[in-house]
Amino acid sequence: MKFFLTSGRTIDQGVALEGQKLGRENIKACAICEFDKDDFKKLDCMIGTPVKVTTKFGEVVVYSQITEQGPHPGLIFIPMGPWANAIIDPETYGTGMPSYKGTDAEVEVVKSGKILSALEIVKSYK
Amino acid sequence: MSKIELTLKKEPTFSLEAESISPDNFKGKTQKDIGALRVFHGNEKLSLKDFFDIKGTAGNNLDDIEIVVNGNLSKVKRIGEKMSGGAITINGDVGMHVGNTMSGGKIVVNGNAADWAGAMMEGGELEITENAGNYVGAAYRGNWEGMTNGVIKVKGSVGYESMIWARGSTPKKRFPKLICGSAGQFLGLHNHGGIIICEGDAEARVAADQARGFVVVKGKIGRMMPSFKKIGEVSEIELPDGEKISDKFIEYSGDHATSAKTKGRLFVAK
Amino acid sequence: MAKVVKEDVVCPFCGTLCDDIKIIIEDNEIIEVDNACAIGTAKFYSSNVSEHRYTKPMIRNNGKLEEASWDEALNKAAELLANAKRPLSYGWSSTECDAQRKAVELIEICGGILDNTASVCHGPSILAIQDVGCPTSTLGEYKNRADLVLFWGSNPVHAHPRHMSRYSDFIRGYFRVDGRLDRTIIVVDPRNTHTAQIADMHIKINPGEDYELFNAIRAILRGAELDVKKVAGVPVKQIKELVEILKSCKFGVLFFGLGLTMTKGKHRNVDAGISLVRELNDHTKFNLTPMRGHYNVSGANIVFTWSTGYPYSIDFSKDYPRYNPGEFSAVDILKTNDFDVTLVIASDPASNFPKDAVINMLKKPLISIEPHKTPTSEMADIVLPPAIAGIECEGTAYRMDKIPLRLRKVKNAPEGCMADAEIVEKLIEKVKELKGE
Repeated sequence: MKFFLTSGRTIDQGVALEGQKLGRENIKACAICEFDKDDFKKLDCMIGTPVKVTTKFGEVVVYSQITEQGPHPGLIFIPMGPWANAIIDPETYGTGMPSYKGTDAEVEVVKSGKILSALEIVKSYK
Repeated sequence: MSKIELTLKKEPTFSLEAESISPDNFKGKTQKDIGALRVFHGNEKLSLKDFFDIKGTAGNNLDDIEIVVNGNLSKVKRIGEKMSGGAITINGDVGMHVGNTMSGGKIVVNGNAADWAGAMMEGGELEITENAGNYVGAAYRGNWEGMTNGVIKVKGSVGYESMIWARGSTPKKRFPKLICGSAGQFLGLHNHGGIIICEGDAEARVAADQARGFVVVKGKIGRMMPSFKKIGEVSEIELPDGEKISDKFIEYSGDHATSAKTKGRLFVAK
Repeated sequence: MAKVVKEDVVCPFCGTLCDDIKIIIEDNEIIEVDNACAIGTAKFYSSNVSEHRYTKPMIRNNGKLEEASWDEALNKAAELLANAKRPLSYGWSSTECDAQRKAVELIEICGGILDNTASVCHGPSILAIQDVGCPTSTLGEYKNRADLVLFWGSNPVHAHPRHMSRYSDFIRGYFRVDGRLDRTIIVVDPRNTHTAQIADMHIKINPGEDYELFNAIRAILRGAELDVKKVAGVPVKQIKELVEILKSCKFGVLFFGLGLTMTKGKHRNVDAGISLVRELNDHTKFNLTPMRGHYNVSGANIVFTWSTGYPYSIDFSKDYPRYNPGEFSAVDILKTNDFDVTLVIASDPASNFPKDAVINMLKKPLISIEPHKTPTSEMADIVLPPAIAGIECEGTAYRMDKIPLRLRKVKNAPEGCMADAEIVEKLIEKVKELKGE
């Protein structure tokens, strides 16, 4: 399914970044993709089932979730962190600021995808 | 004619600040003098001869000097900065700020140019045969007066925020002009009398916040600014510098966000 | 050991810099944090020694980070910096002003690039302010006077959890005696955020079309009739309603967040926002303040500006400071591989930068000054563990409205940790020695 991806802060992400970046907390807070309630029904899966989010710039597997901050049909949200940053548009258009918010994305449900930790994602870049 | 040929012999690892490559700096210099001109490679202070093979000498008449630069110059910045006469031909892709603040003479880039090509130009001509990056002919950070005169021609596309804050003046006969193949967002933002002709499509936010000036788009605009108002249809446009374009266009006035009685005009092909 | 209670402590997390935190310490360990939000509380607790915290400098040997002495680690870091031809330094926003001041000196000596986190945060806001100005005021003024609060692309419930209760929403002010009831709250956001859910009006905008909406509002404010029925997914009728509300308030304030700076248009979205605020001042009193993220990112901009003339993205390679985001900004420098060493302090670019930039950063030597284990520090070649500013050492920080507040020391740093400023000072000495200055 096609969506428009945006990223940003959440309070859980904020709590997790204080000294727990390598921990489970960070995965729980940031390795998630929030869907609109009706969009999620169309995915036809249980809450928490891993989904693969693919953009022009990469792909990442994260846990699915229904948003509390909806409705926002057609829009998906991944909290800021290495998971979102694996797939956002790095183009700065000469401003220094990558386009963190606003990229077209494709989502598919994966039954047995491994969700990497923050460090595992970064290690895979080396 | 005095011709100087520079050929890149060693690719720079970091960006190479080479504002020394301009007819104004080469004027009256021997091959040896030219080779000794300063370039910055990261924080290293080096000379032109460390990176370029140099052939020829420059005469004393600025307008007779022709510089040819060859090689992959995509990391070489500021070629032709502040030049006031003569000519530069660049064979290959070139780095940022080519021809910025130039006031005379001509630069031809046979290849692509990175961001800030012809930024704040005051005169002369800059031609790019392929694509250019963002901020073509733009105002530097915080400046309210960008390009004030001269012509930039880009055969391919220009990036975001090209020709922003242009300052033209019909009484003073200053007509900053950009001709491009296609454009990214914010083409002619904050335009104050600049002339822009886009031969193809423009992405969005064309002529946003335009106070006065002319923007002509011969292709389509991806997303039109809501603060522009349709005036009517025209079959010929006469630009302030005398050029006429005959074709069917829809004429818009705007940007009404910046002034209720804006003198800005936007023409989009019908 | 007896419990020690510290009151009126300033929280070093976000740009709101709440200054009413109560901390209870026992045996140099924080055992209670009162008044702070969830994130601030987590930050204070994170200073307690745990497996997440470095207490010794580390150097990478044969691919593994191993404990080292301060001298060894500092010497190695100084050597990397002194020999670098294009060193990049990034971070500096989650530390105090003294360290930031020394940062300028260090990077100037090294002839490198100095960038702070504004470059991927409110850097675009600064660019816009440099273009079109900034009618602004302090948070206290807003608290006492504002009867209209407009949050645009900002979700304080999540990012600045106590902002609304302290300054912008529920708090009673001198002229706003009924607190929330005396204020109209409007939120512009593509999502029905938690902030939008407690607002009086939510304008659901299409993502990435902020610029169009701003200019439509400005055109209507100037009396123009638009040719279109809808702008950015918002009916023109609703925009007209909004314009009336904006015009008729007594004192309005626009708080904007990364919803403007990170979407396409970036600083131009802010440019249009500022222009709107400027034009609203023809009708009423209106101000704006960017919702700054890191607690002292404002300070980093201010300190860098008074020492170099520029707020961020500064290049010292020519011995004098030059400024150009997009050219000297960390993400662009990394993406174009235009560096040879990276010094990261108080920041985690491995987590927060786009993939392309991180891949390049990991190819070259990386020095990290960081109290906690982060993806950046764990991938670094040298880790220097600092005391946490505002908890374990004093300093000054600037709030989002550019008010300086004194940070306090509430507990001792773990043995072996040095203040950021001290670490940078030592690096300066050693680099100077190596460069023969």
